[in-house]
Amino acid sequence: MGNNKLFIHKSVVYSVITLLFTPILTTFIYSLSSSWGATILPDGFSLKWYSALLTDPRFIDAFGRSLFICISALLLATVLVLPMIFVVFYYYPKLDKIMNLLILLPFAVPPVVSSVGLLQLYAESKFQLIGTPWILIATYFTIALPFMYRAIANSFTTINLKDLIDAAHLLGASTTKAFLLVILPNLKKGLLASLFLSFSFLLGEFVFANILVGTRYETLQIYLYNMRQTSGHFTSALVMTYFAFIFFCTWLASRLTRGNTQ
Amino acid sequence: MSYVTINKLSKCFGEVTVFEDIEFTIEEGEFVTLLGPSGCGKSTLLRTLAGLDKANKGEIWVDGVDITHTQAQHREIGMVFQSYALFPNMTVEDNIAFGLKMKGISKKDAKEDLQKMLALVELGGKEKCHPHELSGGQRQRVALARALIVKPRILLLDEPLSALDAKIRKNLRQQILDIQKELNLTTIFVTHDQEEAMLMSDRIFLMNQGEIVQQGNPEDIYTKPVNEFVASFMGNYNLISAETAKHWFNINSNNKVAIRPESIYIKDAGRQYADHISSPKLAKIISHQLLGNVIRYNLKVENEELTVDLLNRSSERLMPKGSSIELLFNLNEIQPVGV
Repeated sequence: MGNNKLFIHKSVVYSVITLLFTPILTTFIYSLSSSWGATILPDGFSLKWYSALLTDPRFIDAFGRSLFICISALLLATVLVLPMIFVVFYYYPKLDKIMNLLILLPFAVPPVVSSVGLLQLYAESKFQLIGTPWILIATYFTIALPFMYRAIANSFTTINLKDLIDAAHLLGASTTKAFLLVILPNLKKGLLASLFLSFSFLLGEFVFANILVGTRYETLQIYLYNMRQTSGHFTSALVMTYFAFIFFCTWLASRLTRGNTQ
Repeated sequence: MSYVTINKLSKCFGEVTVFEDIEFTIEEGEFVTLLGPSGCGKSTLLRTLAGLDKANKGEIWVDGVDITHTQAQHREIGMVFQSYALFPNMTVEDNIAFGLKMKGISKKDAKEDLQKMLALVELGGKEKCHPHELSGGQRQRVALARALIVKPRILLLDEPLSALDAKIRKNLRQQILDIQKELNLTTIFVTHDQEEAMLMSDRIFLMNQGEIVQQGNPEDIYTKPVNEFVASFMGNYNLISAETAKHWFNINSNNKVAIRPESIYIKDAGRQYADHISSPKLAKIISHQLLGNVIRYNLKVENEELTVDLLNRSSERLMPKGSSIELLFNLNEIQPVGV
């Protein structure tokens, strides 16, 4: 009976995995096939789509732009959010509730609505912001905020912040030193996890990038969108490359976070 | 002048007064305990001494220097927390050496101190462990070593044993006492456990609702409670009304009268009692509790209920519920208390 139950569990799990993997797998096969028209099986396999993609300077540039925007937004988020959460938790713990509401706002408004709102707001500003990567960095910062705040706030609740800082103070450390030497190392795990999560989310973001900046600063997703009219094999190769990169990042994230707990 | 002098120290959070006009002095090398029920202000008083909370009024003097407005990191006061408060990202060694590092002493120069400290708290061989790999007792010893290595002028212990189980608590209690005596360290210990306080302290400050209600050595606090609160907190004192006391013992008092459970005897037939053990009364056993080496009987005598502690000598001598017995009182140990 126990075996029977195990069998049911296993079959459910494997069906779900198969279901989720089928599109990825077929995309992968499609990207590898030289052409696949009216036949059940592809005519032949080749890496030509990948080589075409990876030698396309437009792709390399778009990829670089996406990396630049995501990393800048996450850097900005880290520099602003870390001290902010520390202040919230150490000096004004009551603010945590309000923060929890505030950080949900970027999610409460659909991206289409907020991007149109941002367009209207900044269309007539003295500085040309619309169409530049800067507005995208700032917008991505707000999107990353909920991920970062929640993950880091969780790390804060798992340590005994007040007692740790008190102990460090009594041993002669200033508040800044206590934060850098005692608190920050314990947040590394939450911080890294949230950074990788936000990174993979932001790398795939399309709506804000398309409406606020569009083709004037072609990011990875815009490039993919603009390539939709070209060969399906080519776009499949593009999607697979993107997937592979995200997989790599996730693997790296789990490696790094595991390395910390040992 | 005393080593530590507290002068009219007051602390409030907004409208709420935590303690007011606290005054006491501590001699160098003394082990004193702030004892009281939770919420009596003892922990806040300790934090104020450490500089973690700011006093609203009053002065703190240590070794002839006013430190009332000195920041915590410059007070040279060590503290051990109930929650251990070890730095989870650091090894035992780095935790202990943290205070020295803040003083600009490198781990290499501190090696000898570190080994000495590890030996003192019996944690040799654990220096590369992380706090989460240690047991509760070991963690608290790391915390102790971390506080001691910088040679603090005063050691503050904020319920350091409360999170530990009974056996480890007993061992660590003794270890703390040994270290304290060895280093002749002025120590202030906070606890809500009267037994712990009596076992460890040179002097006890018993606190209630932000005031020190009685101070003195453990014997005096236990045997001469100044009021009902102390009597009920320090032991399982029987408190009988003034009328009953007049009627039973011919004691004139305006307040209640305290009798300790161990100064009442259940009369054994044929045994000789000293002259001051008398005033026989008939009683009925309502219930009993086995506390290990002591059996506690709850008795009814006329209109009063009394608790009596007897040594648990053998199970044959256990008296069942409902038995009628005769009581004798040690008249030297019956005393009126203040309100």
